[in-house]
Amino acid sequence: MNEGDKENEVQAVNGDGIIVLKNITKKFGANVVLDNVSLTVEKGKTTVVIGPSGCGKTVLIKHLILLLRPTFGEVYFKGRRIDNLRERHLNKIRTHYGFLFQGGALFDSLSVMENIIFPIRQHCEITDWEKVEDLVKAKLAMVGLDGYQNYYPAKLSGGQRKRVALARAIALNPEVILYDEPTTGLDPIRADIINELILKLQRELNVTSVVVTHDMTSAYKVADRIIMLHKGKIIADGDADYIRNHPHPTVQHFINGQVEDDDLAVIRMSINVSQAQFLPRDFEQ
Amino acid sequence: MIIGTMGAKTIGGVSNIGRFARFARQSMFASLRSCISPCTYPLIWTQMNIIGVRSVPVVMITGAFVGMTLAVQAYDQLAGMGLEEHLGVLINISVVKELGPVLAAVMLAGRIGGALTAELGTMNVTEQIDAIRSMGTDPIRYLAAPRVLACLLLTPILIIYADLMGIIGGYLVSVVQLGINSRAYWQFSATHVELWDVSIGVIKGIFFGVALSVISCYKGFTCKEGAHGVGQACTEAFVASFISILALDFALAVIFKSIYNTFWPLKSLV
Repeated sequence: MNEGDKENEVQAVNGDGIIVLKNITKKFGANVVLDNVSLTVEKGKTTVVIGPSGCGKTVLIKHLILLLRPTFGEVYFKGRRIDNLRERHLNKIRTHYGFLFQGGALFDSLSVMENIIFPIRQHCEITDWEKVEDLVKAKLAMVGLDGYQNYYPAKLSGGQRKRVALARAIALNPEVILYDEPTTGLDPIRADIINELILKLQRELNVTSVVVTHDMTSAYKVADRIIMLHKGKIIADGDADYIRNHPHPTVQHFINGQVEDDDLAVIRMSINVSQAQFLPRDFEQ
Repeated sequence: MIIGTMGAKTIGGVSNIGRFARFARQSMFASLRSCISPCTYPLIWTQMNIIGVRSVPVVMITGAFVGMTLAVQAYDQLAGMGLEEHLGVLINISVVKELGPVLAAVMLAGRIGGALTAELGTMNVTEQIDAIRSMGTDPIRYLAAPRVLACLLLTPILIIYADLMGIIGGYLVSVVQLGINSRAYWQFSATHVELWDVSIGVIKGIFFGVALSVISCYKGFTCKEGAHGVGQACTEAFVASFISILALDFALAVIFKSIYNTFWPLKSLV
């Protein structure tokens, strides 16, 4: 690609967008999970993707770092198209990202310290182990877990595991942090600790964050911008106030935690059917 | 409808073979790169300990029973023809050329293959493999290559252990229990069992080691979600490894026989 083409490509994407998805469609067999989705993730902001379970949120976030490749469409990072790169080239780009997985995805066989050192070891030549230990200590202090260096993941609670995973995600000082359901499975207080950490990291490290969640408390707290995904399409995109007052009934049902009338009818019908089918034999007689 | 289903299954099967071939190629290249990258040596060393050192007892037990059983089974036939002193030849050739390598490899497929698939499968369903990728590391290089290298290097050595125990087991049963003359037993064995026969078994071990490790790693990497998915992947890994060991054994037997006939045409006639 010559310089002129490169410039055109860069201009083709939004100037503030650190990551841009253009017309992304993702199919698993005949199942269309993402349907022509376009999204620009703005630098230094926190973008929250909300939507019901199974709507394609995790698939979307995995496209941002190309853990999944689109069936159709293009992905850009800092103006450079990356969806057509080979894995070994992508690996270099992935060092600019941190990814917090839903379950933490800590390596069971490694201690907390070894988990955090993992990305450093893979990409940097370690000559001074004391410096590395200080770095691990600093990262753990950031998430409030200094002193847990020698613990193994199995000994940690769900919230602690996510915080260690967050410390690992920021080990290489990434420009972008992706959070996949960071508060799922945590009690409200632990969930709020994670929310505060997301805000703290954005404030202190000035990172770009993308958070996938269906926890509206978390979404309202951390978001600069909220996007709602429904059946593989973006149906709402704006700040917290815009989403709160969005006229689309699906958005209103979701943010208020109310089941839609159609779903309610199906549930009621299924209750009747199950009662009719599973009456004990003696009782029927 | 039937044609459509058959077509879909054929396409699925061909796609699976293609994916496996790609994974095998990537694993082999990653293994070669790991050989010249000292930073991966600790990973290989760890896997050699898990795969090799801890497998020594089971492989030795397998080898010993193979030799002992062969002695018991073959004695009557040979004694009927007055050739019982040749029992050592039969046992030792069978052990070093065929049964030692094959049964040791099958034992390793069960012990190591199942463990590799379960470990990598669990890492896959708990997103640990995705986590490795997200941190800019190639999971095939980090996870599969050290395991493949450890199997490649240690399966032949484990086969030597199995051979040794098979020979000792066969000798003990033949001489101590069945009363064959010890000197004659070794003399006939030394005359007829050649370095070539032992080498065939050891070389087979390299192929068996690569096959079972690549298959087990592939099944772990592509395992479906949930406990059922991991269990199914382990079963499939063992079955596929077992079949590939037998198929490779046949193919290598044909190849080695052709090589032997080419280089030593007169010996093969004798």
